[in-house]
Amino acid sequence: MVAADFIEQLLNGLTLGMVYVLLAAGLSVIFGVMDVINFSHGELFALGAYLSLSIIAPFGAGIGFWVAIVVAPVVVGLIGAAIERTTVRPLYGRDPLYHILLTFGLVLVINDGIRLIWGTQQRQLAVPAYLSQPVSILGVQVSVYNYFMIAFAALLAVVTWYLLNRTKYGMIIRAGSQDREMVRNVGIDIDQYYTLVFGVGAALAAVAGIVLGGYQNVNTGMGNSVIIPAFVVVVLGGLGSFRGAVFGGLLVGVVQTLMRAYSGSVLATFGDTTLSVPNLEGLTVYLLMIAVLLVKPQGLFGTRGEESEGEGELLVGGYGGILADSTRVRLGGIAVVALAVAPVAILLMGDQYYLVVLNEILIWAIFALSLDIVMGYAGLVPLGHTMFYGVGAYTAALVMLHYSQSVFVVLLGAILLCAILAWIVGSLSIRVSGVYFAMITLAFAELLYSAVFKFDFTGGSDGLLGFEAFLGLGGVGAALSNIEFGLLGYEVGQQFVFYYLALLIAVLSLLFARRMMNAPFGSVLQSIRESEERAEFIGYDVNRYKRRAFVISGGMAGLAGGLLAVSPSTVIISPDQTLNWIHSGEVIVIALFGGMGTLYGPMIGSGVFFGAEEFLSSYTDQWRLIIGTLFILFVLFVPRGIVSIPSLVAQRLETANNADGAVDMDETEVRSDD
Amino acid sequence: MTETVLETDGLTKRFGKLTAVDDVSLSVADGEFRSVIGPNGAGKTTTFNLITGALSPSAGVVRFKGEDITDVAPHERVGRGLGRSFQITNVFGGLSVRENVRLAAQSVHSEGINPGEALFRNKNSFEEISEQTETVLDQIGLQDRADEHAEALAYGDQRRLELGLVLATDPDLVMLDEPTAGMSSEETQATMNLIDTVLADQSLMLIEHDIDLVMRVSDRITVLTRGEELASGTPEEIANNEDVRDAYLGGVRE
Repeated sequence: MVAADFIEQLLNGLTLGMVYVLLAAGLSVIFGVMDVINFSHGELFALGAYLSLSIIAPFGAGIGFWVAIVVAPVVVGLIGAAIERTTVRPLYGRDPLYHILLTFGLVLVINDGIRLIWGTQQRQLAVPAYLSQPVSILGVQVSVYNYFMIAFAALLAVVTWYLLNRTKYGMIIRAGSQDREMVRNVGIDIDQYYTLVFGVGAALAAVAGIVLGGYQNVNTGMGNSVIIPAFVVVVLGGLGSFRGAVFGGLLVGVVQTLMRAYSGSVLATFGDTTLSVPNLEGLTVYLLMIAVLLVKPQGLFGTRGEESEGEGELLVGGYGGILADSTRVRLGGIAVVALAVAPVAILLMGDQYYLVVLNEILIWAIFALSLDIVMGYAGLVPLGHTMFYGVGAYTAALVMLHYSQSVFVVLLGAILLCAILAWIVGSLSIRVSGVYFAMITLAFAELLYSAVFKFDFTGGSDGLLGFEAFLGLGGVGAALSNIEFGLLGYEVGQQFVFYYLALLIAVLSLLFARRMMNAPFGSVLQSIRESEERAEFIGYDVNRYKRRAFVISGGMAGLAGGLLAVSPSTVIISPDQTLNWIHSGEVIVIALFGGMGTLYGPMIGSGVFFGAEEFLSSYTDQWRLIIGTLFILFVLFVPRGIVSIPSLVAQRLETANNADGAVDMDETEVRSDD
Repeated sequence: MTETVLETDGLTKRFGKLTAVDDVSLSVADGEFRSVIGPNGAGKTTTFNLITGALSPSAGVVRFKGEDITDVAPHERVGRGLGRSFQITNVFGGLSVRENVRLAAQSVHSEGINPGEALFRNKNSFEEISEQTETVLDQIGLQDRADEHAEALAYGDQRRLELGLVLATDPDLVMLDEPTAGMSSEETQATMNLIDTVLADQSLMLIEHDIDLVMRVSDRITVLTRGEELASGTPEEIANNEDVRDAYLGGVRE
């Protein structure tokens, strides 16, 4: 029954694919019309499933399921519309980057809200008994629910297609996704349609959440697990293309399911050689995505020209400001001195846990700094920067396990390998720009994330463990774990030694980056950020400069990853701890939060982010909700990050002083400083 | 006979079914001030983009100083001495005026900078680059505003800076895309004077709408209509050309 089996898998694939279609349709149209990369789409999807749990409970599965599938999407749609009105709307016209920060904040808020209301336990979504029966048609046995999902989602897709293609509203929305400016120019207020699009997109996501919830189960991680495949679908099909979302969704669903079902199975045998399906589950879709992006960046069905309109303004925190350069340098010096004596205070308090936190902050400060080199200076936004952090960590662990335990060799290895990786990824991806660059780097990162699960030498899903760092070179020195000595009656251990090592490397990295930005190379990067076209036409090979910046950035992120492996608090290097896409999001958020384009801003951002996380999580379980809210408030009111607060305050004071007299309207521009 | 600095041979650009530039063969002599005029959609800007490398031609050849540069990347054309200005002011707004000019000057000196210096040596410590920067700032008259952000300059001053960026790359031929677009008549006059003084040693190729202006300043004029070259000649020849009058001037202007 090979054929029946195959058809069964195909049906399973189509079922999953239809879920992706519903998710991607909203995601794609939202991006196409508003340029919003909506990371919170996955959480709206989960919210739909959770809401329906509560709706089904009083009615019972028989009626409740049908009530839920109508009511929950409407509620989520209204929530989506409210989100658009209150948070997304003020950001139109800004670079899509700010939507990443905003929707990332929304992810934290919605996800934590779900945990708060429904708890963290996995739940079953009750479906009517007649839907969950198995049914056999022509020898193919699947649940009625599969057919229901396919039919129901197909119906919704057809309705959506009809609305988009046969109604006036739909026509305006489609026109908007082709060329928003033109739609405005013919006298249509396209902004009015954004709320509608966002709400309908959210409602479709909620439907997807309910049908998948009934098929599998409902859990707090379900949003996170579908968002990246949904992005793959959108990119494959073409940003803003509904047809693309349908085709891409089915393709990804089927490919994923078939690769899972048949990986390792033998296709044919020729004498001694057997030809079998390679074990590429998880990798295939990303390989597909990279291939499509390289050959046809606008996706299979995309019609949107690359960079069809000028991108919004990138608000770097780097210039103007009220503090003089010398003041800033002095403040930096004070900060370093304070960090250098901090362990003494920690010794006196006797709680070494704070050192663990500080070590994490330093590692992420270097990671965020590395991102700032490409994002804040060369204007490149990689959504997969954690690939270098992760590969750096894995390289370091592998070097320690198999080659040398010397910290210096280990870190050098991490830097070199990541620089090479960055050169390869950069060479392939820098030719596409803007959001396509973001997506292709995301695909590479996900490819590596999936790959480490496959190989024995990376330890699969368990990760690597049992490595140890040696502070020294060629046998001269001491193992980090053996370092322990008494000082004035206090016990000084490996955490202290590592702290100073990390602090030294962080300071050196900052000085290196500062130096570079004041040298010819860095000055060209800044000109590229200001105007790529102009830089090209005063004679700079823009792509080459970008690629080099990417290599330097990748090497530095690898250094941060290497430090993570060397850190005495790190016992295991696992895929989720290092290569999960969430870290790529986090590092962008931290850099923006601190103030990008300043070098020190992202480092401060790391300190505040992890400091706030530690502080809040010791008081409340809902710390993600608070941090998420903080991100949303920041992106709305302090877009240039923490480093811009002094000048914002100064500006407020000035406005308050001028309140009686004429207010200088030119002063509304936000300037930044630390 | 004067040497030819720029030559196009059968230059053609098609966008789908539309032929924007159709078999244009131009020849600009060394030291010449050439203007290209034509009604909207005549293919002026496309021709310009083909010569500077922003677009690649469907057919034909571009030769600069005797070398075929048809497949040479835009930035490399700049390195060989082909400068351009932009129709919409395109300067590095967030950087200081001095840094704008310095970046352009650095570009032509970048071969003398080794990788170590490029990464670590202070950008302001290169004497040749700094000297050239100050010279250009003097020439464009922005010396006393050199520390301001470029975006803080008035429109006319930004246009000056735009020219300064071109000048600092030390070009042999400068391509000017409507350098006086959106200017008042005084500003236009001032800018043309500036071009006259600052770019006196360079060959110039000007794309322009303002016919009176073109008649006054050009050595030779090329008229394009519907992507084709209608006529080339001295301002007098063009003014007296029947075809040009019919097709472009409409016989009204004198």
